[in-house]
Amino acid sequence: MTIERTQVDGKVVLHVAGRMDADNAILFEQQCESCIAEGVSNLIINLADLKYVSSMGLRSFVMIGQKLREKGGDFRICCVTGLVRQVFEITRLNRVLPLHDSLESALVGG
Amino acid sequence: MAKPESLGPVTEFVRSGAREADLPELQMRQLELLIEEIFVNISRYSYPENAPGSVTVRYAVPRSGELSIEVEDQGIEFDPLAAPAPDLALDLEQRPIGGLGILLLKTFAGSLSYRREEGWNRLKFGISANS
Repeated sequence: MTIERTQVDGKVVLHVAGRMDADNAILFEQQCESCIAEGVSNLIINLADLKYVSSMGLRSFVMIGQKLREKGGDFRICCVTGLVRQVFEITRLNRVLPLHDSLESALVGG
Repeated sequence: MAKPESLGPVTEFVRSGAREADLPELQMRQLELLIEEIFVNISRYSYPENAPGSVTVRYAVPRSGELSIEVEDQGIEFDPLAAPAPDLALDLEQRPIGGLGILLLKTFAGSLSYRREEGWNRLKFGISANS
């Protein structure tokens, strides 16, 4: 898994690519935690190139999502496809962490 | 052995089965997810932390487009089919951090069955090209 951090229109975007599994979900959590520590409350996650996520990765999404909500912010997740979309839909995380179809839509929020 | 570092080789082993069965990419990833959920459960909960035991994984290709997998361990008795379903109606703030792995297992694994036999947990499932 690779995580690339960019700034778009003053907003932090994490582009997560590859596989998020039991071995590396912690790295995603750490990256998100350091954004939160810097004061970022709305974190945009681009999953266009994430091919795989297991329940260990979902734990990280739930945990970080809860922390962002505590700060009055939220995850804005976009471009979810394939197995990753199936997994979000089966676990109904797509109902509590709305998925945006495009990065542009996630940047606008709502 | 049921140690976290064994997940890679186990995954590679079932991937070779998936290639033999000519499974499409999406089913191949579903299979990897199933093996990870099962293997992580066994390595974390089945055996005592300081005494990892063995896990046996077998596969068979009954026909092209179908793969059948059997996973066995001698840890504590655990029937994933009997595990309670998570409450998916809860909002994010009320969601427990974990507990979704077994739901994914039950969803993606075809004809999932569990048996406890002479101290062994035996979990069997299939995955097919048109699932």
